[in-house]
Amino acid sequence: MTTTTAPSLVDVRAIDKSFALKGGGTYLALQGIDLEIRKGEFISLIGHSGCGKSTLLNMIAGLDLPTEGTVLLDGEAVKRPGPDKMVVFQNYSLLPWLTVRENIALAVDEVMGKISSSERDALVQEHIDMVGLGPAATKLPLQLSGGMRQRVAIARALAIRPKLLLLDEPFGALDALTRGNLQEKLMQICNEHELTAVMVTHDVDEAVLLSDRIVMLTNGPGSNIGGILEVDIPRPRQRLEVVHHPSYYSLRSEIIYFLNRQKRVKQWRARPHQVVARHGLEKVNLDLGFLPLAASAPLAVAEAHGLFTKHGLDEVQLIREPTWRGIVDGLVDGTLDASVMPAGMPTWMTAGGHGGAPLPIVTALTLSRNGNGITLGRRLAEQGVHTVDDYRAYLKSHEREPHTMGIVHEASMHNLLLRYWLAANGIDPDKDVHLQALPPAQMLADLKDGSIDGYCVGAPWLDRAIRDGHGIAVAGDLAIWPGHPGKVLGVREDWAITYPNTHIALTKALLEACRYCADPAHWGELSELLSDRRYLGIKPELIRFSEASTDVDRGGPESESAVPHHLFFGEGLNRPSRTEHLWMMTQMARWGEIPLPRNWVEILERVCQVGVFSTAARELGLDAISYQRQGIELFDGKPFNADDPIGYLNAQTIKRDFSIAEIPLAPPRRS
Amino acid sequence: MVPTSPRRPGVASNPLEWLTRSSGTWLPPLLGTGGFLLLWQILSSAGVIALPAPSSLFTEERTRTLILYPFYDRGGLDKGLFWQTMASLSRVAQGYTLAALVGIAVGITIGLKPTINRAFDPLFQFLRMVAPLAWVPIALVLFQKNQPAAIFVIFITAIWPILINTAEGVRQIPQDYRNVALVLQMSSRRFFTKVLIPSALPYIFTGLRISIGLAWLAIIAAEIVMPGTLGIGFFIWDAYQQNYVGEIVLGVIWIGAIGLVLDRLMAWLQTRISPGQ
Repeated sequence: MTTTTAPSLVDVRAIDKSFALKGGGTYLALQGIDLEIRKGEFISLIGHSGCGKSTLLNMIAGLDLPTEGTVLLDGEAVKRPGPDKMVVFQNYSLLPWLTVRENIALAVDEVMGKISSSERDALVQEHIDMVGLGPAATKLPLQLSGGMRQRVAIARALAIRPKLLLLDEPFGALDALTRGNLQEKLMQICNEHELTAVMVTHDVDEAVLLSDRIVMLTNGPGSNIGGILEVDIPRPRQRLEVVHHPSYYSLRSEIIYFLNRQKRVKQWRARPHQVVARHGLEKVNLDLGFLPLAASAPLAVAEAHGLFTKHGLDEVQLIREPTWRGIVDGLVDGTLDASVMPAGMPTWMTAGGHGGAPLPIVTALTLSRNGNGITLGRRLAEQGVHTVDDYRAYLKSHEREPHTMGIVHEASMHNLLLRYWLAANGIDPDKDVHLQALPPAQMLADLKDGSIDGYCVGAPWLDRAIRDGHGIAVAGDLAIWPGHPGKVLGVREDWAITYPNTHIALTKALLEACRYCADPAHWGELSELLSDRRYLGIKPELIRFSEASTDVDRGGPESESAVPHHLFFGEGLNRPSRTEHLWMMTQMARWGEIPLPRNWVEILERVCQVGVFSTAARELGLDAISYQRQGIELFDGKPFNADDPIGYLNAQTIKRDFSIAEIPLAPPRRS
Repeated sequence: MVPTSPRRPGVASNPLEWLTRSSGTWLPPLLGTGGFLLLWQILSSAGVIALPAPSSLFTEERTRTLILYPFYDRGGLDKGLFWQTMASLSRVAQGYTLAALVGIAVGITIGLKPTINRAFDPLFQFLRMVAPLAWVPIALVLFQKNQPAAIFVIFITAIWPILINTAEGVRQIPQDYRNVALVLQMSSRRFFTKVLIPSALPYIFTGLRISIGLAWLAIIAAEIVMPGTLGIGFFIWDAYQQNYVGEIVLGVIWIGAIGLVLDRLMAWLQTRISPGQ
């Protein structure tokens, strides 16, 4: 809604709320809540139970008073409850000894004392009819179903013409069908009467369907507003149609991500987090993040084969995140000690690509190379698109339709390779198509229903579509950049400085695991191991590590190159390479993900912890693999000059208006 | 309830059939009571217990007169059981009404104000435990006369369940109802009549029903120790003094019957006034 100019009806200013605890002391429920609600707006408050969303609603209602701060309604401080801010309670709060009509009449008589009794009767009847309860008007609440009772409560609230309607989980206790019908009814009423409403809910779909803005509250103690989402779906909305709106899914997943993140933080807080130092290591209790990908195999091996323990890390816990965003947030707020991450992520976060202040991330180990490929959907294959040239022609002829391709994260090699490959083939990755970050596990579903043209992703999601017949492989990474870095181990720089020996021990454990993963004799076992629910949770035959399994049903001659071909260990494979990280930074700058850092030499120096890697390799007796890789050249044959990234960028024809900027980094220091 | 058979509807019109089919309801209590009376009859006839047999209530002349002529009035205390009962009931009515008025009023006050509740609760809990009989001497000292003293004893016995249940009922008013009243900015008077009383009514009635039984118990105790008062309690005491054991038994049966009727009356009133709660 374009109500930016509308005056704010409710102004919640710097609210704190604390409760006295039984055993003395206080519990800080809400902290620093600021919220403006415009006239005619529908706001949802969403969050986990106990996050204080009902408390916030009660304070807007005046049923509860803030400890600090004020709530203004129409410019006046809310000091006590009143009919101008009517509440619809979760359990309806109808008086059971009064009939439907009497319940509504009670409110009308109480509030609308000034108008004549016949006008009041008409008002009551109007609202009974509005919620379709005419036949039940003389029944007692106990004779009605839950949905009907809530309709009475809504009618009672609306009959007294409140300035603001407050709803506390109004549909929480109803069955799905009734809930859906009532949501539509409420929406319709709100539209017709241009009501301003605030609703507490824990139902994500309900929030997206009904709201203009969704206010997400973090977990207590000291809950605050973690984010506000604008719902740009036009009104009037239909429950069954909104799901097809392009924003619907992203809004929904945004909220779910937020709620999951809150849960993760809560779980993290519930565990003890004192640093446990042991065996000469500064910290042996680590939380390691990973995503369900075949490239996470070294972590699973290190855990299953006791390699963490072998190197003194007794209390390592693997934390599975559904998206890379969870990994970024985990590193930012310190709930993760270290993580598997896309190769581009350390420089991306160091340059502030994640949107916050630049956060120096260091990497001492490249965990995997290759294993990626580009898949196009069957819908395109059926129209004769089998190669990149076909695709370019297809895009030309279908210019007016939206073309979306899926990537997992803007800092992942999938994004960079896909963009490079498209651009090298004359397709602008921003203008001719649209690249969208999606969770790997969701891409297959999107490819199936045709909402994306294709994607670039790692095993096992890559060849799954081909095996299931939903897509075809157009280019494997072996055909784009054989041996490109895939996933790396990343930690915060301050963490690495605070726990240097732990960092080396972790690198050793994972390097040893990488060596184990590289042995073809172990691949069968790896598939079994990764299929466990703790890791990928999919069938072992879907997790493959080599082209040895040349299934006949993959179809097409191109599929050969699309088979995952992970490299986990070997000469020059695991050592962090400054040249590669510079290439990735340059590519991210090319597409406007980050500015090209003027201090790129300093950044590379800090990001690539070659010393840690060398120490780890030496202590494992693996000096031989410390050899450094040479220059970079991709399939198009254009060499990358590591001494002149700016010149390289200027030479590209398809690129965005990249900027060059100094990234302000604090000097390296302990956490 | 009209019993119907799903297989043969229409048979319900036959009373004999109806009796046979509903025998599960009326047969056990009949057998129980009958068995008890029979046992009593046998034990008395055999001389095992000193009480007269149930049959003697009809065979003995004094008791038969009392049963057959409840309305006789020979002046003084020599009146039929009906008049004795009415005298007792009128005292109960006065004491009980007083207890109900005071009990509900005080109960609402302490239910609404936790501070007042904390101030008086120990006292109430203490007084509640004092037996009705123990109040008689105090009542006699206080009022000097039998009639007000008896009413006081009933009052003080009957008030506690009413008071405590009312207070509980007020405390148990759901926060939701209070919130509704708050949001609608109801006046206290409207809150009282529209929310508080209807909401607490089931509790109040529970208290009233317990109290009516207690009041009836108390009146008997009070009358027994208050010589020269007309009433069913003193009737028994008088019979004991004159060794009319049959009259005692008859009086006791009469008391039980009246108590039962009073309790049922309150139960019926309860269902009428607060249905479905």
